[in-house]
Amino acid sequence: MSVFTEKFSATLPPPTRRSERWKYSPIAKLLKNDISISKEAAQGINGWPESISPNPVIRLEAYVAVFKNGIFESTLSDLPNSEGVECIPFSKLEQGGDLEFSNSYHKKEWVGELNDRYRQDGLYLKVHRNVKVDRPIIIHHLTDGMGVASFPKHFIRVEEGGCLNIVVWSSASDDSSGMYNGILEASLGPNASLSLEKVCNEGGKVFHFSHEHIVQERDSRLKIHTFTIKGDWVRNELEIISRGKGTDSVLNGAYLPVGTEHIDNHTTMDHTVSDGTSTELYRGIMYGNSTGVFNGKVFVRKDAQRTNAFQQNTNIVADRGASIYAKPELEIYADDVKCAHGCTVGQFDLDALFYIRSRGIDEQAAKALLVEAFLNDVLSSVTCSELREEILRLYSERHDW
Amino acid sequence: MKGTEEENLLSEVTEKNYQYGFTTEIESDTIAPGLDESVIRTISKKKNEPDWLLDWRLEAFAAWSKMEEPEWAHVKYEKPDLQSISFYSAPKQKKELASLDEVDPELLKTMEKLGISIEEQKKLSGVAVDFVMDSVSVATSFKETLGEMGVIFCSLGEAIQEHPELVRKYLGTVVPQRDNYYAALNSAVFTDGSFCYIPKGVRCPMELSTYFRINQAGTGQFERTLIVAEEGSYVSYLEGCTAPQRDENQLHAAVVEIIAHDEAEVKYSTVQNWYPGDKDGKGGVFNFVTKRGICHRAAKISWTQVETGSAVTWKYPSCILKGDDSIGEFFSVAVTNNKQQADTGTKMIHLGKRTRSTIISKGISSGESQNSYRGLVQIHPGAENARNFSVCDSLLMTDRCGAHTFPYIEVKNPTAQIEHEATTSKIGEDQIFYCQQRGIEEEEAIGLIVKGYAKDVLNKLPMEFAVEAQKLLTISLEGSVG
Repeated sequence: MSVFTEKFSATLPPPTRRSERWKYSPIAKLLKNDISISKEAAQGINGWPESISPNPVIRLEAYVAVFKNGIFESTLSDLPNSEGVECIPFSKLEQGGDLEFSNSYHKKEWVGELNDRYRQDGLYLKVHRNVKVDRPIIIHHLTDGMGVASFPKHFIRVEEGGCLNIVVWSSASDDSSGMYNGILEASLGPNASLSLEKVCNEGGKVFHFSHEHIVQERDSRLKIHTFTIKGDWVRNELEIISRGKGTDSVLNGAYLPVGTEHIDNHTTMDHTVSDGTSTELYRGIMYGNSTGVFNGKVFVRKDAQRTNAFQQNTNIVADRGASIYAKPELEIYADDVKCAHGCTVGQFDLDALFYIRSRGIDEQAAKALLVEAFLNDVLSSVTCSELREEILRLYSERHDW
Repeated sequence: MKGTEEENLLSEVTEKNYQYGFTTEIESDTIAPGLDESVIRTISKKKNEPDWLLDWRLEAFAAWSKMEEPEWAHVKYEKPDLQSISFYSAPKQKKELASLDEVDPELLKTMEKLGISIEEQKKLSGVAVDFVMDSVSVATSFKETLGEMGVIFCSLGEAIQEHPELVRKYLGTVVPQRDNYYAALNSAVFTDGSFCYIPKGVRCPMELSTYFRINQAGTGQFERTLIVAEEGSYVSYLEGCTAPQRDENQLHAAVVEIIAHDEAEVKYSTVQNWYPGDKDGKGGVFNFVTKRGICHRAAKISWTQVETGSAVTWKYPSCILKGDDSIGEFFSVAVTNNKQQADTGTKMIHLGKRTRSTIISKGISSGESQNSYRGLVQIHPGAENARNFSVCDSLLMTDRCGAHTFPYIEVKNPTAQIEHEATTSKIGEDQIFYCQQRGIEEEEAIGLIVKGYAKDVLNKLPMEFAVEAQKLLTISLEGSVG
């Protein structure tokens, strides 16, 4: 038994390198950490570091739901209060709402089981039929303190024809450590639309596990962006299930780890019925001694005819010592489909670099231009311009462009 | 295609019996089923092996006893009961043969049915055939011609007797005894196989070829092939397989090791058409093979395979690109029909500087079969300017089959350039329509399109094989498209 499992027990064993899904992201280091759930809530301490704004995208007019170490901070939050939108933390929910968790992640994975057992708070969000939420909703999660574990779980339902833009932003103060284990479950009714931006900008040494489980019904549209700006050890998992005909799913992401950071993106796109479309684009640049992992699964089930699934993963290994483990996967059980994936690992285009430098721009600035262009293919599909600019600003600040 | 017509065509093909399904009745020298240390001692003794080899086998057996059968492959099957198969079966005919006339006429008939009449091959095709029937080599031709050039091409059993120093030096250096479950099993109980040695600077004048055949009921086939190409030499090696129809599953766990020294080139081509089981997935061969080659400086190993048979295939011909400037290639066409399952691909391990690898894999699935590509491209930190290019295409012929792609890309060097792409699609109705318009029948049109699709790989096969492979492809897929 490890220091970690003594405090957090589960029936499933922690994954090892022998497990195919965790082969490239060993968690042995996590298990040596002495981590516990924050007791601040019970003690009524409300401290929020000045360096971090409760609304992480200051220029963006948005609703914010703020959680610190997994506990809802009502004074810093601003939740929508209009007709047709139910938005309330579980801890304040009176009748418990009509929660229908359909995800079986907690039965399959150790990380999922931990979240289920030690679940703290989370947002209950329901968008009624044909309601378009007027502003984006930002769920801001902060890890603050040493050895803190948090286990949030959010529930989102967008009913027929509804429209929602949500941002899940996680940050951590520079001297923090511990574990973030967050789950978001969403379902989209017929013709509903959801745009979800996941941003991880965590200082300190936090083990970040996030899992999004989203079910799409007929003709619904989903757009997810996963941006890892900063994070010591990050694992992002997306599980998208298309249950109705004619769904459209876009899964994009970018990761630029530096130092010894470890960033893992696992995506599953499951086409269970016909006429669905999915496109996936993940781009990464590995600096220093960092590690990048990409695993993109696309399933096309029997009878999911006329599915179009496209996936692309492009990587640059920038420095000696950095590594990338990429594993795009296709599992196809229907014949009338168009499916493709492409995966590349390479370097900066030397011709392009030369072209820019020959116009009097130094190497670093030239590389920065190329990186921005490289990222732009992912960033440009973020519709909210304030958010897009803020993400680009954070990336450029971090990488000193 | 309209419903009834499609059904007719489908049944025509699925009911077609396995063309090569016949049993030769030859008295066999078989030891009792089961596996323990004494079986290994018996095999070793029967083959009159030196002590070091027996020790080597026993080490492998000890390692194997502690291993578990792997389950990660995308295949489902009932695990073979290793205690119920016999690990040694040799045609009872031990005396030296001066000419083919002395060979058991039954055996010769078998060869004829397989379409490889030895006389004909000897005279016409210029191919030296080391014919392996149930583990022991019975006829070797062109040995003298090869002997003049210093090329050694014989059964592994013979090599152990006559060139023990070479076998001892290279055996197990590429696929170690404890490499994996089936390789360890093979190391413990291998009965025979082929050995091929090309001396320095020699370009082998003919294609070396071995036909494998699983013949005796209830026997496992544990072949072990060892190819050593000395500095600057060249050899093209062919391996072809057919097996008679059986109801119980037969296990085939072979090991192939290739050592390509500086600037040597080895081309290894396989056409595999073992019994795939009937249309309900009953019977068929389990093909669990470990094939691996090591390339020293500027050496090149090229694997070409056409896989149409076996009920379950589990095979990853690999290249360890150890030397600088070495090259690895993998060209594959895998066809699965009915209930066949194939999980096949390659591994390219880049260790040396400026190493290059190319992977072209074409999967064709039909019936209710499952066809997976699984490949690893690994660039180690020292592999400066390594280059890999991979294409994995899958063609789906029915709405009940599956085509899967599992590429693993691991890069630890910033100068590497890796490209991987995979596509999955079915034959376009417009393509078939186009052919039909010009008076080509649908079935023929499909054959044409499939051959075109697999052309990149078929072109890599030696001439003699390419003809056979094209025939096989057509036979395996006739009428299986809707």
